[in-house]
Amino acid sequence: CNKLSENPNSEIVSSQFYKTSSDAVAAVTAVYSTLNSDPAGDFPIYGRNLNLLIENASDNQVYSPSNTNPDVRALGTETYVSSNDRVHKTWQQHYYGISRANVAIDNIPQIPLTQFADTTLRPRLVREAKFIRALLYFNLVRMFGPVPLVLHDPATVNVNALKIPRSSVDSIYAQIINDLNDATQLPAIYTGANIGRATSGAAHALLAKVYVTRRDWTDALSEIDTVTNSGLYGLFPNFRDAFQKATKNGIEHIFSVQFESNLGAVNSEQFLSLSFASFNTSVWPADVPADSSVSQLFSNADTRKVVTFYTTQYNAATGQTVVFQNAYTPYLNKFVDYSLSPLSNQSKSGLNYPVIRYAEILLLKAEVLNELQGPTGSAYTAINQVRERAGIGDLSTGLTQAAFRDSVFLERRKEFIQEGQRWFDLARRGGTYLFDAVTTIAAKQVANGGGAAVKDTLFPIPLTEIQLNSLLTQNAGW
Amino acid sequence: QNNNVVLIGRVIDERTKDPLPGAVIHILGTTHQVVADNNGEFNFITGQRVPLTYEVSFTGYKTKNVDIKSYGHVDIQLEESNKALGDLLIVGYGTQRKSDLTGSVATVSKNLLTQPSSSFDNLLQGAVSGVSVTQSSGQPGSTATIRVRGGNSISFGNAPLYVIDGFIVYNDNDYVNSGATSGAAVNALSTINPSDIETVEVLKDASATAIYGSRGANGVVIITTRRGKKGTNEVNYSTYIGSQAVSKKIPLMNASQWASLINDVNVSDGVAKTYTDAQITAAGTGSDWQSSALRKALEQNHELSISGGDEKSRYLISGNYFDQEGVIVNSGFKRYAGRINYERNVSDRLKVTVNAFGSASKQTELPGSTYGSINFSNYYSTLLTTSPIVPIYNADGSFYVKSPYLTTPTNPLQDIEATTNQSNIVRTLGNFAAEYKLLKDLTLKETIGADLLYTKQNYYAPSYTSAGYASSGVASIGTVTATTWVNENTLTYDHSFRDVHFLTVLGGYTTQAEKDEEAVTNAQKFPNDLTGYNNLGYAGTPVLGTSGGHTSVLNSYLGRVSYSYRHVYNVTVSGRADGASVLGANHKWGFFPSLGLSWNASEEPFFRSLKNTVSNLKLRLTGGQTGNSAVPPYSSLAVLGASNYYFNSTLVTGTAPTQLANPNLKWETTTQYDLGVDVGFLNNRVNFVADAYYKKTTDLLLNVPLPLYTGYASELENVGSVNNKGLEFSLRTDNIRSRSFSWTSNLNFATNRNRILNLGQGVSSYFPLAPTGQVSPVIVAVGLPVGAFWGYSTQGLLTAADLAKGVPTLAGVPQRQGDTKYVDYNGDGKITTADKHYLGSAQPKYTYGFSSTFTYKGFDLSFLFQGAYGNKIFNLLQQTLERPTLSQNVSAVLVNRWSATNPNGTVARATDSPVPQVTDRYIENGSYLKLKNLSLGYTLDRSVAAKIHAKQLRVYVSAQNLWTITRYSGYDPEANFYDGDNTKAGIDYGIYPPTRTFLGGLSVTF
Repeated sequence: CNKLSENPNSEIVSSQFYKTSSDAVAAVTAVYSTLNSDPAGDFPIYGRNLNLLIENASDNQVYSPSNTNPDVRALGTETYVSSNDRVHKTWQQHYYGISRANVAIDNIPQIPLTQFADTTLRPRLVREAKFIRALLYFNLVRMFGPVPLVLHDPATVNVNALKIPRSSVDSIYAQIINDLNDATQLPAIYTGANIGRATSGAAHALLAKVYVTRRDWTDALSEIDTVTNSGLYGLFPNFRDAFQKATKNGIEHIFSVQFESNLGAVNSEQFLSLSFASFNTSVWPADVPADSSVSQLFSNADTRKVVTFYTTQYNAATGQTVVFQNAYTPYLNKFVDYSLSPLSNQSKSGLNYPVIRYAEILLLKAEVLNELQGPTGSAYTAINQVRERAGIGDLSTGLTQAAFRDSVFLERRKEFIQEGQRWFDLARRGGTYLFDAVTTIAAKQVANGGGAAVKDTLFPIPLTEIQLNSLLTQNAGW
Repeated sequence: QNNNVVLIGRVIDERTKDPLPGAVIHILGTTHQVVADNNGEFNFITGQRVPLTYEVSFTGYKTKNVDIKSYGHVDIQLEESNKALGDLLIVGYGTQRKSDLTGSVATVSKNLLTQPSSSFDNLLQGAVSGVSVTQSSGQPGSTATIRVRGGNSISFGNAPLYVIDGFIVYNDNDYVNSGATSGAAVNALSTINPSDIETVEVLKDASATAIYGSRGANGVVIITTRRGKKGTNEVNYSTYIGSQAVSKKIPLMNASQWASLINDVNVSDGVAKTYTDAQITAAGTGSDWQSSALRKALEQNHELSISGGDEKSRYLISGNYFDQEGVIVNSGFKRYAGRINYERNVSDRLKVTVNAFGSASKQTELPGSTYGSINFSNYYSTLLTTSPIVPIYNADGSFYVKSPYLTTPTNPLQDIEATTNQSNIVRTLGNFAAEYKLLKDLTLKETIGADLLYTKQNYYAPSYTSAGYASSGVASIGTVTATTWVNENTLTYDHSFRDVHFLTVLGGYTTQAEKDEEAVTNAQKFPNDLTGYNNLGYAGTPVLGTSGGHTSVLNSYLGRVSYSYRHVYNVTVSGRADGASVLGANHKWGFFPSLGLSWNASEEPFFRSLKNTVSNLKLRLTGGQTGNSAVPPYSSLAVLGASNYYFNSTLVTGTAPTQLANPNLKWETTTQYDLGVDVGFLNNRVNFVADAYYKKTTDLLLNVPLPLYTGYASELENVGSVNNKGLEFSLRTDNIRSRSFSWTSNLNFATNRNRILNLGQGVSSYFPLAPTGQVSPVIVAVGLPVGAFWGYSTQGLLTAADLAKGVPTLAGVPQRQGDTKYVDYNGDGKITTADKHYLGSAQPKYTYGFSSTFTYKGFDLSFLFQGAYGNKIFNLLQQTLERPTLSQNVSAVLVNRWSATNPNGTVARATDSPVPQVTDRYIENGSYLKLKNLSLGYTLDRSVAAKIHAKQLRVYVSAQNLWTITRYSGYDPEANFYDGDNTKAGIDYGIYPPTRTFLGGLSVTF
């Protein structure tokens, strides 16, 4: 007679886990993994998925002819609807990460401290999870506005018991600030095997960005000063080093999502490297600049231009330089991993995705100072550091506060193409900035029928979520 | 001794006059009996004296008493029993008189079972009403999808249960798939040699299947293999050899047509044309990629069997070699199989039986690609979309690898030829049984059996193929071992009281344990391609391997009481309690009862006057419940999973929950009612069976979507319900039966309606997962059948007048004149996803089969027509082929595209990669009628055969898939790319093309 109870050998069940310090470490590693991978092998958040919402739905990017996914195309032409699969997937991936953070935050404190050889490890791990929870909620609240605020792993499978309404934007930000304040207790730096984890500086930097988004300029400045005064960060002299494998986790990188061209990994491809896929000139990358106006933002002297775009690639196998010349060039270049051989092997890219670079702290500083005091000398100093590194000289002096603000946002656009900032920046400015910017692009204007507004600077709540939970309401206009 | 006399004679068939070796001649009133020899001859050396009476019996013939009054040679003619009421049918855990049966049981005709086939599931096609078999692709050794009376479940397990010589085999193709190879699933059933099969019965209703409890819901196929006959020793050699070719090709553009299409796309893009008129003309027909990988393929089968038996033992030893090349190069299927069936009556009380077979199969498979767990196109479809302007070969015969349209310098035909993608399956299935008569009427049966499956899969994509280019060669090897142990203990009491009350009581306990273990190892970056998958040690980059293992257990108590009053009124009550380890802690056990009633009205005294016309009339009424628990092990547990990250450029393993616990996970329950009538006319030469049934499946095992903000996408729960209702008819006629000519035919017809009644609270529909970049063409929705297509209606093309009128156009797409005109289905003045609607179902309204056999003297001619009506197919391949891009070839229908110069074109204008929408244009009528099989044979006259010392010699020629009537434009209306996936039925994503086979065969018995 065989026993009917199941004792799997090949699987871990939850009752066996969360007992030791290594379980705690593994639980937090799984939280980080939601940033660079998707369980179904889809594009990760910090990779092409966030890029599709934040760059393709802005004036920076659009799909290329090779992309026949209707949902991706709809984002490119601002015609997406609440059932858009990419919006749905982005929402899912964020909550997937939040759920894992919740599991870590709930379970790790239950593990006896005696299990930890280093007693600082237990609170550190919880704080790392809180940092990522805050990062993901910060994305969500900016993309969707009020969202369900889930802070614990569900104990039930009953769909009805899981129905909760959306929480107010204020309460979500309160939670984000809470978590980040806690995360500022994280170590300032890591060494060896821990390089890549969230630091105190990352928490301060993210807090600064949160406060800027909230227009809490004073608190933002204090966080920015904490980062700049730490002495830990600076700009790479060479812009390209922000996007090179050899210089990953360098002085400019405050927090990056980690990728590695280790072929042993599963599901950790950022997919942005596929901006270059082949020396075959008939093959398009999936996404391309919205139109020629994007590359024309850059003067030829701007060292960022050749890092951001390419029109030629050197084929080491043939010794020839291949020229890409068509209606969709120049192609995007930041995430092309030039350490690969053959170069067309971009699906194996090991380039990190920078979430916050020091350049952003400088631009935030310029913005915040301008808002608090107008375009002061310190504000100029901050933005000029970024401009000088790009080789384009100082910003012309004597600008009004409004003109200085425009200059900062233009600098942000040029600095951060493909880095998941543009839609957030346009939406954050409010008013019709997003709509106006997007409709300067011909492809998007036609699709908009010249009138359909970019709805209210929020993405729609995924349709299936509303269908499953009658307590959820849709954003206005969707 | 001098008292002994010799009694001699011969037993022959009354009609054919063929000898009947193995007939048993028993002298009534004595224990003395003999068995007829190979020529039907017998002789007694006996002390008995005439007059005496022989009782002559033989399986399949009516037992006859013959009075013997003299000592001379006597010819005894036996009449075929022709499904006499007294026939025994094999039912679950025993046999039952056909007359006493209450359930719906269909037998596959012998003629169909002898048709050449790689796997026996294909033989069920068109054979039995209510059993629908879809041959998913033409890949040798591939799977078939089988549904008995429609599908009960949405997510799990709709395949029937197979019982092979009493051993229960739930066919799980995962047990032969490690994941190391790519492409469609391997069919675990193809490991079994179909020629070993003697009979196949299909149990359809609850009265018949409830004894299989939790695995009975989808019907049960009972297979009995051949065994030796008493008093014979036969050697049989059979073979066939044939040639297969693709039965259909899809019209594609040639090079000059394609070049002019590219120019039109250029015009649409507003850029300069790529080709000059002179270049277009010069391009000519270009390369025929579709045909480049095709070949005439050989199929051959050799089979040797030795069988026989004496008073106490029966045996059969058979060996089989089957080799089917694929019509696509570098694909095929081979099988080596052997079987030993042995039975011995150790004593009057004890009988032991061993049925064992072993096989080694090798499938060389056309590679495919997957997205997540979903199959995603195959290498043959890639050929179809390769531009005809690209040469296949260089002038020196080597492959041309400079296509400007490929990301890598490779060649799609070379990819097919050079990629290793094979599954090697070794299967041993053995069943040992001992039957012991405790009392005259009480039999104890003990069975122990094991099914051992070992699979090794090999994959290697060389550095010069598209899959191996970037990584300088990719190797993957995988193994799966799957073991099923079964122990069954049954006690049967079988007694008749004064030949009036017939009672059979069966009780039993069975236990079954399954264990599977799998491992896959991958490696990349090989310095050269010389060793392929055989030596991963040469690889420069190891890849994380995977491994896993599962165990599951099923414990059962079963019982059945059959009672018959004078074989007129019959009752069967059966039930089974199953305990399954895979279910939640709170619901391990389920109980599945059934009740069946039948009435042989034709045996009533009042019927006697009708008996000359209506020889048999039986009414059946049954009801009962069966279950389904075909979920993977550990589905109810809170399982964690690995998810990795990099710190300091080093891989670190993380662990997090992937599944919420559901201790309430329980059985899917199907409640089924069946009303049936069996009518025999003219001494049962015409047999008609009709059944009406209603099935409702509740507590469906569904992956219920959870709000995504919970961090979980879905949870396996028991919610919702589905019903199936249908009618089945079968008509078997013995049209002509004369000395030299006979004609029999078999017609069956079934209709099934499937409908989803409920999907759980708050869920009215959901879309099954589709690969990224594709829109799901199917919906799972309350009120619709499973496999419902969902998309836009279209109405030709947009005209200038339409646009002037401002007809709604597809939101988000700048539509122009000559683009597809979508129908504003909901009338809101916009074309949005809200205008998608139900476009038909993949489930046929009717399925039917018609077979007939004619014999004239030594000739026999038989055919099988089979078909389905009313099903729809989503032609995803055609959708792909109607999407012009600047790089891929397209369907020839695009020649008639709309353009300024062809304003009457009926196909949408050429644009650069239009978004592929699911529209009614690609939801095609999948009705078909196929001549599946036509064969003509000749059996040599016995006297001629005897010259080579053969008892029988038959030669035949046969054609398969000779003729198909369908309006479906794809390769095959049976196309079913996603195979057993219920929600994705009827999607044609470019299958391995079906073949037409001509073969010749020979069967000789010594």
